Amino acid sequence: MNNQRTKINRRRFLTVTGSALGAGSLGFPTLIPSRVLGAPGQPGANSQFVIGQIGTGGMGSTHLNNLLRFQKEGKVRLAAVCDCDDNRLEAAWGNTEQKATPYRDYRYVLERNDLDAVLIATPDHWHAVQTVHACQTGKHVYVEKPSSVTVREGQAMVQAARANKVAVQVGAQARTAKGAWQTCRAIRNGIVGKVSKVTCWHYDSPADNNPVPDSEPPEGLDWDLWLGPLPWRPYNRRYQPANFRWLMESGGGQIRDRGAHQFSTILWCMDADKQTSFTVEATGTVPTRGLWDTAIDMHAVFQFKNPDWTLEWGQPGQKLGKLEFGNVFWGEKGNLILEWEGGYKAANPEAQNFQMPPGGKEVYRTDEYEDFNMNHKADWFKSIREGHLRPAVDIEIAHRTATLCNLANMSMILGRKLVWNGDKQEVVGDAAANRLLSKPQRYPYCL
Amino acid sequence: MPEFMNNLGTISTVAAATTILTSASQAAEAVDDLIAKIKSPDDSVRGPAWQGAATAGAPAIKPLAGLMTDGNFEVARSARRAVWKIVRHAGSPATNRERQAVQTELLALLQDQPTPVRCEVLWMLSEIADENAVAPMAALLSDADTHEDARCALMRIPGKQVTKAFTNAFKTAPEDFKFALAETLRKRGETVKGYPSKKLTPTKQTTVGPSAKT
Repeated sequence: MNNQRTKINRRRFLTVTGSALGAGSLGFPTLIPSRVLGAPGQPGANSQFVIGQIGTGGMGSTHLNNLLRFQKEGKVRLAAVCDCDDNRLEAAWGNTEQKATPYRDYRYVLERNDLDAVLIATPDHWHAVQTVHACQTGKHVYVEKPSSVTVREGQAMVQAARANKVAVQVGAQARTAKGAWQTCRAIRNGIVGKVSKVTCWHYDSPADNNPVPDSEPPEGLDWDLWLGPLPWRPYNRRYQPANFRWLMESGGGQIRDRGAHQFSTILWCMDADKQTSFTVEATGTVPTRGLWDTAIDMHAVFQFKNPDWTLEWGQPGQKLGKLEFGNVFWGEKGNLILEWEGGYKAANPEAQNFQMPPGGKEVYRTDEYEDFNMNHKADWFKSIREGHLRPAVDIEIAHRTATLCNLANMSMILGRKLVWNGDKQEVVGDAAANRLLSKPQRYPYCL
Repeated sequence: MPEFMNNLGTISTVAAATTILTSASQAAEAVDDLIAKIKSPDDSVRGPAWQGAATAGAPAIKPLAGLMTDGNFEVARSARRAVWKIVRHAGSPATNRERQAVQTELLALLQDQPTPVRCEVLWMLSEIADENAVAPMAALLSDADTHEDARCALMRIPGKQVTKAFTNAFKTAPEDFKFALAETLRKRGETVKGYPSKKLTPTKQTTVGPSAKT
């Protein structure tokens, strides 16, 4: 009900004020979202996006620095920062020179009618709920990867983006990075011929070698809000700070962290975003003790049909490159290595020097910033300005990537092979597995 | 029938009974062995024990539940993880008898275990329970310590029985819990008067900033 009221108010605000306010109203910029200054639903070419950031720790600090740089360039006004940990919030607020308004509860940010968009950099278990709620209040969203922790969350995110006509960019930045792009255009245009297999290597995940008992949360951390959609349980230092990644519920391990990057790049290179059905069989070793329950080492095999190819996630896997993790594209004419996921690291020289053959098909990418973190956000802004609302890692693409990560973890914990029907978005012939496609969320932090 | 045939029949009956007793005794020994290992302070003993517990089946659940609140948090955690292994194995397609046996043992735990165990068991049931589990699970909707976990766990179970259970619970629920039940019922297509969604209603105040209110 509140949600509807908020949406109607915002739309009414945009309709009424957007047409009524003219140049003379520019004396009140803090009350006006940038889109008001452009065509309805389309910010003007020179307009400044008004943004709130939700989640400021970890990768959130990189995002904050990016937004401050955009602000310095006059492209963004960072109007709100939000974190459930006051210690982190204090630091973030300080970084904005105390100009952005600080909030603990993200719903205060969503209530603001002057914001065009939010950037979400919270732990994984919050991504879907906050994204869907932001979409419902008419805000464009940039959300960290992986997009979701369950398939049903991912579907809800896609639906919310489309229903509310907003752009949702997911932070798997390689698709706007030079290294991945050079690899993508080389692979798609036959540098190694037809690719039948892609393998990933990755270092092991950590085990909790210093387990501690539950305790009171540290001062300033709102533990209830940190948990949000998750079932309530006492605080433990091995959840937070910094360790959410190693819990299945909140982080999903390396396959949902780095995997979300690597798989996104691989699907791009293989032009396989629409190849949504596959089988997956995964095994892994979970630590014998401690709170963390994601795999230390893991092996997952995905089989795709029409065209047929295999994707293998390996921890440690077969390391052919020099760096900590990467991918190998195995083709009929040899193989091509991509270190990392093509973001922070350069492409293999063969890909960098690849000459497009006659009749070759070029691959588009936004190219406004050398820094791919900046470039990925520029791509998001561009999709909003141009009105197509389909950034490079649109939520639908990210949902498909996250489905690979989430189903591999499901196969591992269930101890069996899963047959995934992408059209129906269900596991074939496995009722218990299908129940794991959603995880009911604690009220009121729910979809 | 020749006498030796009668004797053979007796012998085979005795053999069958002996086999059953032997396998029952072996199963009991296996459970005892699992429990002893789960109690071990040695990670290298306890860890592989819970990791390999999937096939221990229904007989191991009650003894493991007894360790789920052990004073040694590593023992408690290992016991919980062992039960999860059993539950997820029991949910495999074509293991319906095992699933039913595991469900029966889990439902029994809802009666007399401490709150954290009952909450965890509700989530276990959410993955494998059938309609026979709805009433005992729904009974915990009226317990303030377990009602939110019960609500969430029941949401995973398909069928009208669950909707009916939510409707009944709504009638007598405390006011603050009615909002959650109303949301759940609406999601299931039911009409509920009042109790609007609180999903987008902010409540948490920060101590940071000049006003330190919102």
